[in-house]
Amino acid sequence: MSETVEKSASLIIDAKQRYSAGVLKYRQMGYWDAGYSPKDTDVLCLFRITPQAGVDPVEAAAAVAGESSTATWTVVWTDRLTACDSYRAKAYKVEPVPNNPGQYFAWVAYDIILFEEGSIANMTASLIGNVFSFKPLKAARLEDIRIPVAYAKTFKGPPTGLTVERERLDKFGRPLLGATTKPKLGLSGRNYGRVVYEGLKGGLDFMKDDENINSQPFMHWRDRFLNVMDAVNKASAATGEVKGSYLNVTAATVEDMYERAEFARELGSVIIMVDLVVGWSTIQSISNWCRKNDMLLHMHRAGHGTYTRQKNHGISFRVIAKWLRLAGVDHLHTGTAVGKLEGDPMTVQGYYNVCRDSHTKQDLPRGLFFDQDWADLRKVMPVASGGIHAGQMHLLLDLFGDDVVLQFGGGTIGHPAGIQAGAVANRVALELMVKARNEGRDIKHEGLNILQRGAKTCSPLQQALDTWGEISFNYASTDTSDYAVTEQFA
Amino acid sequence: MAAPLYQIPGQQAPAPAPASAAALAAPGGAAARTIDEVLAQSQAAAVIDALEGDLVGLAPVKRRIRDIAALLVIDKLRTNFGLAAHAPSFHMSFTGNPGTGKTTVALRMAEILHRLGRVRKGHLVAVTRDDLVGQYIGHTAPKTREVLKKAMGGVLFIDEAYYLYRPDNERDYGQEAIEILLQVMENQRDDLVVILAGYKDRMEVFFRSNPGLSSRIAHHLEFPDYLPPELEDIALRMLGDMQYRLSASGLAALRDYIPLRMRQPHFANARSIRNALDRARLRQANRLFAQRALALTRDELMTLESEDLRASRVFA
Amino acid sequence: MMTNPVARITQGQFSYLPELSDAEIALQIEYGLSKGYAWSVEYTDDPHPRNTYWEMFGIPMFDLKDAAGVMMEVHACRSAFPRHYIRLMAFDSTRGVESIAMSFIVNRPPHEHGFSLARQEGHGRTIRYGVHGALE
Repeated sequence: MSETVEKSASLIIDAKQRYSAGVLKYRQMGYWDAGYSPKDTDVLCLFRITPQAGVDPVEAAAAVAGESSTATWTVVWTDRLTACDSYRAKAYKVEPVPNNPGQYFAWVAYDIILFEEGSIANMTASLIGNVFSFKPLKAARLEDIRIPVAYAKTFKGPPTGLTVERERLDKFGRPLLGATTKPKLGLSGRNYGRVVYEGLKGGLDFMKDDENINSQPFMHWRDRFLNVMDAVNKASAATGEVKGSYLNVTAATVEDMYERAEFARELGSVIIMVDLVVGWSTIQSISNWCRKNDMLLHMHRAGHGTYTRQKNHGISFRVIAKWLRLAGVDHLHTGTAVGKLEGDPMTVQGYYNVCRDSHTKQDLPRGLFFDQDWADLRKVMPVASGGIHAGQMHLLLDLFGDDVVLQFGGGTIGHPAGIQAGAVANRVALELMVKARNEGRDIKHEGLNILQRGAKTCSPLQQALDTWGEISFNYASTDTSDYAVTEQFA
Repeated sequence: MAAPLYQIPGQQAPAPAPASAAALAAPGGAAARTIDEVLAQSQAAAVIDALEGDLVGLAPVKRRIRDIAALLVIDKLRTNFGLAAHAPSFHMSFTGNPGTGKTTVALRMAEILHRLGRVRKGHLVAVTRDDLVGQYIGHTAPKTREVLKKAMGGVLFIDEAYYLYRPDNERDYGQEAIEILLQVMENQRDDLVVILAGYKDRMEVFFRSNPGLSSRIAHHLEFPDYLPPELEDIALRMLGDMQYRLSASGLAALRDYIPLRMRQPHFANARSIRNALDRARLRQANRLFAQRALALTRDELMTLESEDLRASRVFA
Repeated sequence: MMTNPVARITQGQFSYLPELSDAEIALQIEYGLSKGYAWSVEYTDDPHPRNTYWEMFGIPMFDLKDAAGVMMEVHACRSAFPRHYIRLMAFDSTRGVESIAMSFIVNRPPHEHGFSLARQEGHGRTIRYGVHGALE
């Protein structure tokens, strides 16, 4: 390498020049290596970066690698006390994003020594803790991540998992049904329990607290838990099925959360629920507690939309889903594609794959950029919730298959003939659709006919179709894959 | 649905359950109107023609198979018009000496019946008496039922079927297996086709002692012994499959060998030919083995000479 | 007491639909076979929701190719235990699943008694619940 005074943009190999005080470009410091071949034990991240005008994309990628590993804005001699090359993340590939001038995909590899075993807090602090506020980037998004098997194996994963959940509930071969108690806020404990009882007895498998129901003046958490468990047990005796209701244990402190979880266990609940906003460390603690107490853990992804929805900045939900599977949750809201909340169908199916695969394959139209071997970690049951109704059952079953919880909050409680009727409508619609699919019918195209025929002998279903048959939520999605044309669902 | 104790408020009692839905009709393409269309749609022609080409001799068998195929094709055309196609029984018996192709034809038969819609899955389950009959009381019925379950949707081939019947031994449970078979052959004709096989004379005795079984057999096919030219044809095909060939003198030796071997005891038709060829290959190997230093050509490795055959003891 | 809208125990995949005919059951079996599942028949007179282990009517049927074989066992079980609950279960042995993939009821007693809830008061406002088979 030449030792001219003029600084070139290439990697500086000569140690004296590399470590003399001053400012170098990141790509000169070793954070860019086009020839690097990622090891099986590296963590790989795909960032979607929008450099500021005039910033070279390779330099921006190197900066991302640097700022999420060992670099700082000027050369430091203390680097030489370390085997510094191992600790440097390496950006090894930069590509422009199709049809998006100014945006680039940057692949960065991190050596496994950078991470603490079994700690999502550490992984997130490392990868996104610093770099997103970096001035030379106008915007940055962590698009996807590959966690090496060696690292995945240090996590305990879901406390129960999809298969054991089904065995505990004794329910196989069909999606599970749920509903969120509505209105979200304001019901007293006794009334809340009534809604739960009606929904479960009518045919749903689960009822659900909403994310902002914790313990408010209108309903203390202990009253809710007592009334809900009364309703759950009564519904179980009335139907002969195992029933459950997700009791939200989110609280101000972790100690309070443990207290609430203990009470839920004492009352015999099969499942508790936490909101994403409690934070990664709390999630892992509660996950461990659930494993020790044979409890299912339902994760509500409250707040994720603030950073997952815009394509150019934030963290993609598929990364959040991967982190949550490692951290250990049994249920995770992953989107409906056809309901009231954001989610393009292909991208949403990508999230479902992340939850349910033993080995997720690269699938660019679904936004999956890496193969991910899950090291036999248990699977997460995805939850589709938000603005869906019985008239969409064929679309939901076709999109998501059997291993999903379908939640119809408004679609149960808003039924003109009452909550039980709403639950019956949803359950009958589901069973009809599963039966038809198994018989070989094309449910995507004949589904509505099948529902209408079935509704002739089930008036709750007929009323549901009459009330909501026309409702759908068709807005352009803000987060579609760069690699596919997505179909619209009527 | 039984009338529920509790009604959803505001609802009428649900209507009685509709008549059970008939099983869905198979998805159809355009209904065929000509024989060729049926054959093309079912791709049965290929299998039937393969039968002709791949199997040597067996003229009466091939003729009967063509008759059965024709009946099934006409049945299909009739159903396309909505006419009743009442399925006759297709149970068969194959009689003949060993090595005359019974198992091979049974396999092909299963495939033809499947292609023409007579059996649903077209697999072949081949068993003998020991697979059906137990050693102690209560052992037979489950054993036979297990075999039948595996064969459902396809063809059950019972070789040396007469061993099921041992009247001299009162502790023999073969009769139980026969009873179960009779019931299935009669009541579940749509689910299963049964083929019984064995030596001709022993099968005749077996059927005389079990008239119920005999009356359920629709097709009795005889597998005659092969004639020498047919055996020669079989031998040449076998060699071709194994990528061997005979020299001119080797072929002459084969022609001399065949009638001599047929006169020997325990002649098993194609199987005996197969064994003879295997022994010839052994002798060829020995012959070539002697010439250690010689670089053997492809031709030499493939060719069987007359001495490889004439060493047989039938020539003694 | 059976106070749910369909007046039956609602376990299994199709309890909210009219009873499946034999032809419809055969179609479900074919679906399971096409996915490589092994079917088994189980019966019980104790349909408590936490009763995982029903009695097995024969071992799971591996390597079957056609629904008729399974239907034979269903009919045999129905003749042997006409007043019991009978269910068909399909087992999926792929790695990572190794559990049941389908399960539905194919026979019910003529009169379903249902369950009653027994309550044992505990400390504070807590109650210990027990679900018991109702006698009539």
